[in-house]
Amino acid sequence: MSDAKGSPRNHGEASDFVGSREITREGPGAAVAAPKEVEIIELDGHGGHTLEPEWKRLPIGPDHILYPLVVGLALFPILMGDAGHHLADDMPDDETHPFFPDHFWPYPIIAVVMLITVGLLSAFVQKNLQLEASADPRAVTIPRPDWYFLFLFQFLKLGNEFIFSIGIGTVVIILLLVFPFMDAIIGPRVARRLGWKKWPVPGRNIITGTVFVAALVLIALLELWALAGPQFCLPWFVNSPVCGA
Amino acid sequence: MADAAAPRRVTRRTFLGWWLASLMTATVVTAVAPILVFLWPAPPKGQKKGPLLVSLDTPLDQLQDGTATKILAPTSPNSAFIMADGGGDNSPGDLAFGAFVVKTGSTVEVFAQNCSHLGCSISFVPASDTHPETSFDCPCHGSRFHMDGSVLHGPAAYPLSHLTWKQGDSPNQIQVDGIVLGF
Amino acid sequence: MAIPHPREIQVAVVDWLDERYPFTKAVDEALYQRVPNFANAFYYCFGGMVFILIVFQLLTGILLALYYVPDASSVGGAAAPAYTSVNFIQNSVYLGWLIRGVHFWSANILIIMVLLHMARVYWTGAYRAPRELNWIVGILMLFIILALALTGYLLPWDTKAYFATEVTIKITAGVPIPVIANLTKELLQGGPVVGPPTLQRFFTLHVFVLPALIVLLMYVHFRFIRAHGIAEPL
Repeated sequence: MSDAKGSPRNHGEASDFVGSREITREGPGAAVAAPKEVEIIELDGHGGHTLEPEWKRLPIGPDHILYPLVVGLALFPILMGDAGHHLADDMPDDETHPFFPDHFWPYPIIAVVMLITVGLLSAFVQKNLQLEASADPRAVTIPRPDWYFLFLFQFLKLGNEFIFSIGIGTVVIILLLVFPFMDAIIGPRVARRLGWKKWPVPGRNIITGTVFVAALVLIALLELWALAGPQFCLPWFVNSPVCGA
Repeated sequence: MADAAAPRRVTRRTFLGWWLASLMTATVVTAVAPILVFLWPAPPKGQKKGPLLVSLDTPLDQLQDGTATKILAPTSPNSAFIMADGGGDNSPGDLAFGAFVVKTGSTVEVFAQNCSHLGCSISFVPASDTHPETSFDCPCHGSRFHMDGSVLHGPAAYPLSHLTWKQGDSPNQIQVDGIVLGF
Repeated sequence: MAIPHPREIQVAVVDWLDERYPFTKAVDEALYQRVPNFANAFYYCFGGMVFILIVFQLLTGILLALYYVPDASSVGGAAAPAYTSVNFIQNSVYLGWLIRGVHFWSANILIIMVLLHMARVYWTGAYRAPRELNWIVGILMLFIILALALTGYLLPWDTKAYFATEVTIKITAGVPIPVIANLTKELLQGGPVVGPPTLQRFFTLHVFVLPALIVLLMYVHFRFIRAHGIAEPL
């Protein structure tokens, strides 16, 4: 996993691995017959990464009072397993920066800002948090979903219940799940037919890019339609007119 | 790996493979089956079907033509009506907490209040200047129904569900098929 | 005997650990690995924000569970314990409004951030090989988040929650094959109508099943990221 293309920096680890495989190939008895000296456990896959040189790091070494903090932070990537061959390993030094502290420092700030934001929202926008009457199945109310389901709610009004809920829903879910494969298999064929040199990523691709923007616009329009309220009605192909929620 | 061209032969190895596979399948089935059964809801104690007595404000024989009276399923004990038929989202046996008693001509029908589209509670809207036809309107997705329960406007595609009912002991009482929920 | 300086004790502990596991080396390699400069763009931090918000959700969720009562049975028309307990959290528990508010608002912002993160990944083509599996894991997490939003909506047990859930269950059970439709409905509702058993089921999903699933998938997501590194820029 660490390196499929064979990075020149990774030779040490790779040759060790080949060596151990040769030992097992000699037959079932070989591995037990000649035990080598007990090796100290080494983390695989890290070999070959360019790290920030020691003299440039923040002076938080094992003897520093903040070291436990740094360890706590490092535990996260350690838990996440071996780092493979990353893009930064092949980039010149002036195009990269160390994760700690250069890349890490905005996140505590983001966390605090978000906490303050949600705290202020809970203090000053309590209207959304106050409850209605206790649930009563005999009451007559209009169930209106939260904003993130509102466009689906509006979408349901546009046609046959099954097709517009489970039908299209399932299709969209499956399309989302297999999208990377469609992009990799169908994309280049479309590109060839159009005479393009390659099939670019959606940000540079008129087709996949437009599909994305169109989907967003569709969702936004449905959402606005619903938000416009029950008095706002538009003609539609079936069940015309269809009103907001 | 066995040679693909050679005729299949049960070796010790393939036998053990299948043996292990069946053992593991059996383990999974014995673990999953009781879980699925456990997930199936059991009726709570005290749940029982039977006719529910509902009182009307106006006696049955004095109901006006072309009007609808709303009735609610009794709350103590907590009960619900059982639909006799259905279409779309309603099906026979589904429950309703409210209903409309409707008189059209000489017949009296009782409809469950659940819209056949997605089950929101419909309301009775008499004809007016802005609303040319007396109908049952669903506030959720805009479906409308005629007084006889048939669809006037989509997205609902099926008529309202009937409830089975009969005249009670007194003239302003009816018995509607229902269920005591037990919770 | 001289009392060792705390720094010496710390070094001794680290040395002891280092003899058993290449601890310092692992810490160094985790922290001082280099990151491409293009990853400093603001739109690369949406994923991190989602992570922070999920941590908020887990913490406030645990706190809310200390007071919440998942019981919807109402005796003699009185409000159900589920409803009164949420009211109690909101209006009586010290800083209850804050904890519940953070849970509520973080959930809302979380959905926005998830969508923004997904949009960034799509737009820059970061789902491409070898990262397809991580895209799939991400989509699964999106649906778990939506399921969490859906199940959480019912828990206050007010009218709005009740009817929204009723409609949702009807939609899920909208398969035109009656047997399957009824099966789904009964299993989700835990009975013939939305009632106390439904709340119990949604509570179990919201508090035990879905958080466990999402934490597991987050672990897989991060392991993939750690293995693949950051994708090429647009």
